[in-house]
Order: sequence, then structure tokens, then C-alpha cells
Amino acid sequence: MLADLFTGSVLIGLLASGIRLATPYLYAAIGETFGQRSGVLNLGVDGIMLMGAFSAFYVVFKTGDLVGGVLLAMLVGLLMGLAMAFISVTLNAEQGISGIGVYLFGLGMSDLLFQKLINNVQTVSGFPVAPIPFLSEIPVIGQIFFTHNVLVYGAYLLVPIAWFVLNKTTLGLKIKAVGENPEAADTLGVSVAKIRYLTVSMGGLLSGVAGASLSIALLNVFQFNLTNGLGFIAIALVYFGGWRPTWVLMGSLIFSFVNALQIWVQVVGIPIPSDIAVMTPYILTIVVLVISAQRVRPPSALSKTYERLE
Amino acid sequence: MTDKQILPSGHPRIDSLEMRGIVKRFPGVLANDHVNFDVRAGEVHALLGENGAGKSTLMKQLYGLYHPDEGQIIFDGEPRVIHSPKDAIQLGIGMIHQHFMLVDSLTVAENVALGLPSTRGMMTDIDRVTKRICELAEVYGLDVEPDAYIWQLSVGQQQKVEIIKALYRGAALLILDEPTAVLTPQEVDDFFVTLTQMAKDGHALIFISHKLHEVMAFTHRVTVLRDGKNVGTVNTVDTNKNLLAEMMVGRPLNFIRNYKTIECGKPRLKVENLSALSDRGVPALKNVSFEVCAGEVLGLAGVSGNGQPELAQVIAGLRPSTSGKIMIDDETLTGSTPMQVIEKGVAYIPEKRNVDGLIKEFSVSENLILRDLDREFYSKNAFLNMNNIAKRSADLVKTFNVKTPSIDTPIKSLSGGNAQKVILAREISRQPRVLIAAQPTRGVDIGATEYIHERIIEQRETGTATLLISEDLDEIFALSDRIAVIFHGEIMGVVDRKDATLQSIGLMMAGEQPPETQAAE
Amino acid sequence: MKRFGKLVIFLVMVAMLSTACATATPAAPAESAGPFRVAVVTPSAINDLAFSQSIYDAMVKIQGEMGEANFQFVLSDGMFVVDDAAAAIRDYASQGYNLVIAHGSQYGAALQEIAPDFPNVSFAWGTAGDTFGIPNVFAYEAFSQEGGYVNGVLAAALNESGTIGVVGPVEVGDAKLYVDGFVAGVKATNPDITVNVNYIGSFGDVALASEAAQTHIGAGADVMTGSAQMVVGAVGVAKEKGVLWFGTQADQTSLAPEIVVACQIYDWAVVVRDIISLIQEGTLGGKAYAVSLQNEGLKMIYNPGFNLPADVKALGDAATKGIIDGTVTIGVGGK
Repeated sequence: MLADLFTGSVLIGLLASGIRLATPYLYAAIGETFGQRSGVLNLGVDGIMLMGAFSAFYVVFKTGDLVGGVLLAMLVGLLMGLAMAFISVTLNAEQGISGIGVYLFGLGMSDLLFQKLINNVQTVSGFPVAPIPFLSEIPVIGQIFFTHNVLVYGAYLLVPIAWFVLNKTTLGLKIKAVGENPEAADTLGVSVAKIRYLTVSMGGLLSGVAGASLSIALLNVFQFNLTNGLGFIAIALVYFGGWRPTWVLMGSLIFSFVNALQIWVQVVGIPIPSDIAVMTPYILTIVVLVISAQRVRPPSALSKTYERLE
Repeated sequence: MTDKQILPSGHPRIDSLEMRGIVKRFPGVLANDHVNFDVRAGEVHALLGENGAGKSTLMKQLYGLYHPDEGQIIFDGEPRVIHSPKDAIQLGIGMIHQHFMLVDSLTVAENVALGLPSTRGMMTDIDRVTKRICELAEVYGLDVEPDAYIWQLSVGQQQKVEIIKALYRGAALLILDEPTAVLTPQEVDDFFVTLTQMAKDGHALIFISHKLHEVMAFTHRVTVLRDGKNVGTVNTVDTNKNLLAEMMVGRPLNFIRNYKTIECGKPRLKVENLSALSDRGVPALKNVSFEVCAGEVLGLAGVSGNGQPELAQVIAGLRPSTSGKIMIDDETLTGSTPMQVIEKGVAYIPEKRNVDGLIKEFSVSENLILRDLDREFYSKNAFLNMNNIAKRSADLVKTFNVKTPSIDTPIKSLSGGNAQKVILAREISRQPRVLIAAQPTRGVDIGATEYIHERIIEQRETGTATLLISEDLDEIFALSDRIAVIFHGEIMGVVDRKDATLQSIGLMMAGEQPPETQAAE
Repeated sequence: MKRFGKLVIFLVMVAMLSTACATATPAAPAESAGPFRVAVVTPSAINDLAFSQSIYDAMVKIQGEMGEANFQFVLSDGMFVVDDAAAAIRDYASQGYNLVIAHGSQYGAALQEIAPDFPNVSFAWGTAGDTFGIPNVFAYEAFSQEGGYVNGVLAAALNESGTIGVVGPVEVGDAKLYVDGFVAGVKATNPDITVNVNYIGSFGDVALASEAAQTHIGAGADVMTGSAQMVVGAVGVAKEKGVLWFGTQADQTSLAPEIVVACQIYDWAVVVRDIISLIQEGTLGGKAYAVSLQNEGLKMIYNPGFNLPADVKALGDAATKGIIDGTVTIGVGGK
């Protein structure tokens, strides 16, 4: 039976499945990485994702305009990010509580809008699979990596961009400084508030896209609590990934691959209790990342509000 | 106007800076009352005063953090208004803060580049910054490694990074806020060499300190502030330590003490092969052993971060030890809870008084009785006896000379010195057998320092065994009978004060084994 | 001022949330004394086309039968956090509702604690077979293996690839009965068909259900089924790939009219009607119900838009009849 599991086509399907599953985690976790590197812990990711998912779904449901759906999800995500920034940076509210507030708001608001504007579960036609010319024709590799929809590609493109911004730009330097020692950044004329507003609202925007990737690219439905806590797993991936985009990618992939694998294991009938099977992605991801990212320290100013001392 | 002279860093120098008639009011306080201050190129000018005398308020106005209500700031004859630190940097002012403004997880070069426009637009230009840092380091004789991470550097090196940072931004005038507080004596010497050279090269330096011997050693002029007013400006060569202290405090101080020597009988506090871990789980104490006799002060010297707080915490029962033994007379203290430690007669003045020693929102009287709440005198059947508490608190406030509007004033509105007196009152009034005093005068003004020192000496006379943990060598030398030095969690040696020199203690603080004066034990 | 600002923000959020989340669906306001008042708490949304919708539909149906003057109900949905649900159940009980329905097997422990505190209020708990011996608790469950079996018979008849996929939530209760019944139906019709079953470990993870469906299709399934509210993800995939779908709990035809063949629907009205009459007679609990094809609490619905061959439909009808008259043995859950 193990042989069944690892025949070529099965393996390809499994890997492609893992690549696809990681998409919403990547958008949300990379967005959250920026916020956390600048010292803001936004626990509202899941709520922002839900609002993004609903906004995108609504546009596509009413007009069929996929790009419009993503743009609205971005806008809604951005606005919720700004709200989080306003609460946690301008009002200096405790970040954990503010984030939970944003989450609950998104959870409730997306459902309210859904009930008022659509009211029953419907499907839409979302982003179609768009094989990348030439690359998708490479045997094996093509099917695994280059036969997905646009939002999947976008998620992976985001990782090198995030790495570049954090490590090679003055903005990245400012973000890291603000997250480590906001006082020092402040004395050098770097506005702590400005940087945090920027990272948190960008994080919101990306969470919005994460939601859209679910509702109009991967699942093409919307229902109450569509994300089912996916945003919180994304936050955990940021921690276990040691606040580095490449490790966050690694964590997302491990989590998704193992999830895809456990589905396969059940489907082909390997006799493992389903309760055990569904636990493995969580356990494995934590084990792998805890071991490998052991020596990484969180940003020193993470979840601490900053007020200039007089 | 003639062209300005150029400094070795390539930036124009500031020939003279004058602050004239500066008035700064805060609600209910006149922080600066028509203060005059000036500094010239090539000069190290000390700004001296007790806490709350108005030094930092004055300097914050120069650095653009506050704005004067009256008065003028004049650069090379031209009045200027400084709106923000950015303006100040533009004018050529740099400030080295007492707590370094460095980002630990970034490299030296990244710290220097932070906040500056890059020559490559959005992308960083760390390689070019690195090159420029090397040039500056060369010219100023500051050995820094641009690629090193801040957390890898010693405190002394970090300070050099701060100086480079200011020079890189074109600082012609440097404000140094208590820069030597965190350095070993050797590092201080190095630092003074650098500063002296910088002054010679045409920089103007403002040196904020309360260490009189340093002020005497290398400054050109001294301006003393008291209660927000100028007391006077003198040439350093025309004054001495005692005169300066008198100017600061407004009355003569007793510096020299003669106290009776004691015969050490049986040790009262005995620490044997004690080891413990730090918060991060790495060894902070390695086989630490020492003894303190009744009526003796053992000074524990060392640069910050070498295991001092951990040692104090282990003795106070706040941190578990991994091995070793602590004895008080014949009782074992190891593994006791903080309450048991208190009951065995150990008093503890913690290093972070606002975190571990006091509850800032609580009143003076509540803080005074915190430790003894359960005594029948203060509470019965879970009810507080308010009368007794008030009476006792008022007594203590009086005895210990705590300056507070009332016993119900919250601690957070008291000055550092008075807050420390509250702790001292609470701890010493119990007639402890052992006193652990960690940094008892840090951030405390000279008047209160003198008072606290007197009290510690008084305890010594009454037979208390005192472990004095301090990073201030003046304090260690002034109070101790013997001096132990801690480095990387190990005791480097214990010497009698009469045999100790600043040089020998300093070497041990830097991790060198003591020369021929071997540790007695 | 700053603190005040924070407080305002927080309160606004809480306020918006409470309007949004607990979508209490109020019926007509009480006019005359004496309408029968029911409160329902459900874990997912009432429009989930599955479990929660089934009880909502029953409420609407009974209200239609009895008239708004005589029957009123409120419903709190989306209570996937058991603690929140417990609080809602307690609130409703203290507000004097005649019957409080805890529609979720996960609410059992909470109900066991709450019910004895309100001896004059009647509670119903489903899906479950046990009333804990508490006199004011009813229990109700579904013999969902029956419709599962019928669906299985139909699926086996329509299957061409030799592989059928099943997406389950968590391997317990109602869902497990349905899945086991389905497998039994397939095997009884054609033992050579491979039925791949996987449980995704969640009632709400639409993304994982979708990925599971992808996997089943990748493994060769051309017919699929699944249970619980997260299957909308699987239905979406089935629709996209043109794979046939069998539903349960509610009529899922609207979701994908092209590929939904048949659904087993729950009609809890059968149970609720009986509970109401018992309460009106003064019996507040103690009885356990089960809906079945026989008592018409379970019904098979065929998608009129799907061109089901007559011979296949005949097979399904035969299975339904056989289960009702006892000639067909499913071999699951005592049936």
C-alpha cells in the first residue's frame, strides 16, 4: 500500500496540492511578518481574511469581475489594517486585545453582510487554472509548480519580494529597527508610528488577498467563518518561521504538504485513525520549525506600544 | 563671514555655541530659570548637577526635544530655533544617550545607516556606509568593525559605535550624557583619550556627569546647575572635587570616613560554589564563593551584565540555584522561598527599584509596609490596621528623611533618591542580619547618595553583614571592607580595600586574574 | 482621554459584533399570551445547506403549520465556541422559553450542567441518543445511515471509474453513521467498487474539504459524497471537475444543479411536533427520538434538473422501500 502512495502521478498530485494549500497561509503570514518585524502583533488576521474573502466573493458573485474582487479585498484589508494600526499605534491600546477585537469584528461583520446581501451558500467561478507557458510543459515540475491559478503564483512571488524589502532596502532597515528598538529609531528621525502604520496596513491588505484566494480562487464559495481559524495558524507560522519570509515559506509548505499527505494516506486507505492523521501537520510543522528556528529571538519590541519618553 | 574650519570628519566645525537666558517651565516646576551656558570648539565642558537640577532639560532643548519658553540658542553668533532632533543633527549636534540607542540585532553599519537617505534610493547602500565608517574610524582612532552585530560588542565598543553614528551625521558638537556609567576603568581611560583627541581636533564636547574625579580629570570648564539655576561656571584647573560638590549640593559634604576595623569571627553570610542560570537559560553564576562577616561590608565590583542581579536574586530566593549552598549563620538558605529568606533576616535592596522594589502606583505608606503586612501590628484577621500603618509610616518617613508631600502620595511622584529611601527604610528598619544592597545609589542624587551611604555604614556598625553590589567604583571604595570582583559569573578575586587600587580592580573587572595579590580565600 | 478613546473603540466593536454574530432571528413579537416559544442554538450558520439549516427549516415549517400567533422561535447560529453556546442556552432558559434546543452533539456537557438549574424549562439535545436521565431533556438523532445507504446504492449504479470518494468531517456521530451507511450501500450494489473515505478533522475547514475532494478526484473518483457544513468546499470542486455529488442533511441542489444527483434531507419537524405536544401535556423531557425514512423525518430528494436514468431511480426507490419495511439490512447502527 505504501507503494500506492508513492507512484509518480500520486506524488505529483500530492505536491501540487501542497503548493495550492499553502497559498492563503503565505499571503497572511508574510503580511503578518511585516507587522511583527515592526513590533505590532496583529491577532486580527483571520477576521481581515474573512472580510477580504467576503468582499471578493461578493464582487465576483454580482459582476463576475475577478480582478475587481481582488482589488476590493485589498481595499477592505487595507482599511481593516489601518483600523488595527489606529487602535494599536495611535491609541496605544494593548495589541493582543485590539487584534482579537478586529478578528471578532471581521467574523461577525462578514457573516452579517453575507446574510444581508447573499443569504445562502452559492458558488462562483473563480480564477481559472492558468498554466504558465513553457514552464508548465516541463514534465513533473510543470504540473507541480506551474499549473495553478494566478493567486497561487502571486503568493510565492511575494516571498522573495518580502525578503528583498526586509533585507535590502532602507524601508526594511527601518522596519527592523522599529521592531527591535523603537526609541533608537526615533532618535534617528525614523517615525515609529509611520512605519507601524505602513506595515500593519500592508499586512491587512495581504490578509485581504489571503481571504480572496480562498473565496474566489481555491474554494469559490463563501460561508460563515469560511477561514475556520486559518489566520491564527498563519500567525503561528510567523512565530515558528522566526519572522523570516523564507522560513515562513518553509513552514507553510511543510504544513500544507503534510496536510495533503494525510489526506492521501486516508484516501488510499492506509489504516491510520483519522484523528491521528489530521494531527500530524500541526505536530510535524511545530517539531520541524521549533528545532530549526530554535535560536531565533522575536523582535524585542514585539507587542509593545511605543510612546516617546518626555 | 569667514569659511568655517573643517573637522577631520569632513564636516564644518561649530566655533561657539551659546545658550542665553534659557527658561523652561513645566506644570508646577521651573526646570530652567534663566540658565546661561556656552561651549567652544576644542573644549570639553562639563555640565554638573544633581538629579532634577535641570541638566537634561537644558540639553534636550539644545537637541530639539523640548523648546525653550524664553531665551536664545546662538550658533557662531547667529540665533537659531531648533524644532526637532532632525534640526539639531542638521546643525551639527550629536547626542550620546546614557542608554545607547542601538538596535542589537542589526550590524554596526546598519545602525549607522538607519534613518539616513541611501545613495541608492530605496535600496540600502551598506557597502558605502561601511567604507565611510572605516574612514571615520581610522581618522578618529575608533576601532569598530562595521559588519559586527551590536549584540556581539562590549559596552565600550557600543559606545564607540554611538560616537561614529554621531560623527557620520556630521556632529561637530557632542552631548555626552553620563557616558562613563557603564564602562570599566580601562574603557573609561580609552574613552577619555578619544574625547581629548576629538576636542583637540576642534569638536565641542558637553560632558554630563556626576563623577567628580572624571570631571576633574579631563574637562576644561565646569558649569554647575542647582534647582534649575546657574550656580557658576569655573575653569577646571581653578577648582577641586570638594568645591564642586559643595556647589552642587549647596553645603559641604563629608567625603572621608574613618570607621573602626572589625575582627571577623564566624562568617554570617556564606556562599559556597553557587551556580545559577540567567533568564535566557545560560549559566550566569559559576561556582561563586565568598563570605561576609557580621559588621562587614563586602563590595562586589563588576561591569554590568556579569551576573550581579542573578546573584542578588538567588540569595533573595527569587531565582533558583543549580548547585551550591548559601548559609546564614548556621541555617541553610538555599532553596528558601522569598518569604523564608525575609524571615531569616535578609534585607534586599533590589537593583531595579521601580520593578522589583516598589509598586509605583501604591502610596509611600503602602510600600513601606508591603513586606510586613502579615505582622499582627499591621493586620489582624485579614483586616489592615490603618492607624498603626499610618503611625509607623509617618515615623519611618521622618527617620529616613523621605521628602514626600504625604504618606499617601504614590511612589511614582517621588524622585529616585526619595523612592530609594523608602526601600531603605522598609528594609533596614527590620534590623536585618544580612543586607543585600544592589546598586543602591544608581540614579540617585548626590545628597541622597550621601545619606544612603551613611545608613549602610550605620548598619555595618550595628553588626549587619552587608553585600554591596555596585558598578560605581567610587562607591565600592568608599564603603567596602573587602572588595570582590565578578566577571562572567565568576569571582575573579577578593582583596582588602587597603590593598586594592583602581588599577588592580579594573583589571579584574575586565577578566584578568589578579596579579600577585592572590585571592585570600 | 486616551483611555476613554480605547474604551469607546472597544465598545463599538463589541456592539457591532453582537449585532452581527448572534444573528438572532426574531419571529413576530408576542401579542397574545400563550404562544409556544422555542429558542435554538446551532454551531454553524443557518444557511449552511447542512446541519444547522436542517433545524432552521424545521422551525419555519412548524411556524407555518401552527401560525405565528401560536409559535415563535429565536435562533442563535454560528455558536462554534461551546462556551458561547452554553451562555446562550442559559440565557434563553432564564428568559422563559418553553423549549430550548441545543442543536449540536458538542453541547451535551453544557446542557447536562444547565438543564437541572431550570426544571420548568424543557430542553432538547441533538444529535444524540441520550437524555442523561434528566427529566426535562429530550434527545433526538437521525438514522442518517438510511439515506446514506440509498445514496450509496445510487452512487454505485452511476459509477463508471470504479472509485468513489467520501469527504467526512470528524469520525463521530451522525457523520460517521451516514458515511458507513453510504459505504454499505455501495458495497451491497457492487462490491468491486473502491470507496475512499477520509475525515478532514473539522466541521468547518472548507479549504481542507476542497483539497480532499481534489485528492479523491486525483485518485479516480467520479462520484462523491460528504457530510457536514464544510462540504461546500468539496461540492465546489466536484462542480468544477464535473464529478457527481450526493448530499445529506439538507438539499444541496442549489449549490451545483449540474452535478447533484440526490440528497437525504432531515425533517426535524417530525420530532419537534411531538415534543411540543408532550410539553403542552406537561411532560418536559425524558424521551429520545430518531428520525428515519419510516417516520418521514428523513426524506430522499432527487434533483429534478439531473437526468437520472429510470432504472437507477428504481434501484434507489427499492432501497428506500426495503429500509422502511425492514427487508433491507444496512448493518450500521443497529439497522
